[in-house]
Amino acid sequence: MFFAQLYNELWKLFGKKRTYIGFGAFVLAQCAMLLLFKYTRWQSHLEQLLFVNGYVASEYVSALTVALIMVFPQAALLMPLYVALVGGDLIAKEAEDGTLRMILCRPISRVRLLIVKWLGGMIFAAVLVLALGITALSTARVLFPWHGMFVGAESADNMAFGLFPPGQGLELYAFSHLFMVVNAFTMLSIAFMFSGFNMKPAAATILALSYFLADFIMLHLPFLEEYHNWFITHHFESWFLVFQQPTPWPQIFQSEVTLLAISATAFVIGAMGFQVRDIKS
Amino acid sequence: MIELRSVQKKFGARVAVHELNLTVPRGEIFGLLGHNGAGKSTAIGMMLGQVWPTRGEVKICGYDVTAQRARALHKVGAIFEAPAFYDYLSGRRNLEILSHYSAPTSAERIGEVVDWVGLTGREQSRVRTYSHGMRARLAIAQALLPQPELLILDEPGSGLDPEGIAEMRQTIARLHRELGLTILLSSHLLTEVEQLCTRIAVLNQGRKVFEGRLADVKSAQGRVKLKTPDFARATTLLRERGIINGAVDGVYIELNEGRTTAEITKALVNADIAVEGIWHHEQTLEDFYLDLVKNTPNQR
Repeated sequence: MFFAQLYNELWKLFGKKRTYIGFGAFVLAQCAMLLLFKYTRWQSHLEQLLFVNGYVASEYVSALTVALIMVFPQAALLMPLYVALVGGDLIAKEAEDGTLRMILCRPISRVRLLIVKWLGGMIFAAVLVLALGITALSTARVLFPWHGMFVGAESADNMAFGLFPPGQGLELYAFSHLFMVVNAFTMLSIAFMFSGFNMKPAAATILALSYFLADFIMLHLPFLEEYHNWFITHHFESWFLVFQQPTPWPQIFQSEVTLLAISATAFVIGAMGFQVRDIKS
Repeated sequence: MIELRSVQKKFGARVAVHELNLTVPRGEIFGLLGHNGAGKSTAIGMMLGQVWPTRGEVKICGYDVTAQRARALHKVGAIFEAPAFYDYLSGRRNLEILSHYSAPTSAERIGEVVDWVGLTGREQSRVRTYSHGMRARLAIAQALLPQPELLILDEPGSGLDPEGIAEMRQTIARLHRELGLTILLSSHLLTEVEQLCTRIAVLNQGRKVFEGRLADVKSAQGRVKLKTPDFARATTLLRERGIINGAVDGVYIELNEGRTTAEITKALVNADIAVEGIWHHEQTLEDFYLDLVKNTPNQR
């Protein structure tokens, strides 16, 4: 029964057009970035950077390098937006449409219903992230050759710089997406938490994004430097730490555990809010 | 099948349902009446475990809904005003999804229910292409899937045209007759309630102001319609003789217990008052309901 319910939840989720906004937006953004990279000074700037550091640009301006460049802004901005959109819908949209009342006249407990919905959302988040990685690499491959990978990225707390042969580059690229899935889980769980309370789906999404934005801004305030571990956006950076050599596994592990704990906490708070509320038309 | 004991529901400071006691025995079609905001939907919400009672006990099929929700709702189907479905999915897919929240349901059972409500041939179409009537039939189908013993219908005729309302009425009667279901029907459509229900309860401002058999309502208080050229003199005389206890609207008189229309005719003819007509008045549910609501003091 549980798996039938989960299957149905996925059917509902992937059956509506709204779910595909994120996928479509990723592809569009990737095409736009790819064209910008190819036909503006962006590519020559990268070649210059490689040359200054003593590398042969033609060996590293590759599909893998460009795919990763495209993934960075999307993972930081678009991905949280789209998972928040879906997470905010999971309960609140059903309540708004009236289908939640149809479900809750059935002998299913509210907690079980939420677990099914949350897991459905998690699967969606994972599919979205994997789609982001695959489409970025596929579109980049259309215009760029299959060569080595160059990584040069810097954030508020972390920096990754490295050159990898194509095989290792692909492995790291795939591996980094697994950690990005945890980011998506967390963002979805926060939106899901708000969705469990009595509010419109748009309000749940906006609250989740506001939290994300406030967290991001605070992470970049210099006087809050010693509190970075308290910010989810700090832990969101762990996905690109896999490109650091040597890989800082303790730091990655700490961030992943923190994010999973935040996701679980958000679920529990959302479930408590949902459990005590009255469902009325 | 349904038992509410001293149930109260407050939304903030507002009392939506006040000390409600209600019993719906097996096999009845029970009407729940009341104006908008009287507390009907809140009471139904509490029966289905969607609204938490502030106080009191709600039992469905012998189980407490709050503590044993799964057992209580195992054999319950419900239909709400403007039933909502996943419009982008087919009718059949909707039934599959909703049925899996109750118990595993075979494809044969779904086919059987689709056939019962007359949606065969349209079950694979998306729900967004359905008319109001078809959506109402789909709502009945989803309510029947768990093979219920109790059906809770909250304004099932809402939004339907007269033809749809008549069809819904026939379906409810058929559900009761053929499947032997106990039905709780909340409706604004008094004529529907009048034609279907055996017992009714009336809610007003969150309080139950009446509960009883519909037959008793209709034959209420021995009201008689009297047509005479001198109604005032006639009623004065009948009051003096102790035959009636009152007159209403210059047309109706209310007989004292044990008195008959023959006594009225005899008394009036003997007093040389012409009697042009005299009929036992069968009160409609509408008359009864409006009188009841009008005469209940505001207690909020």
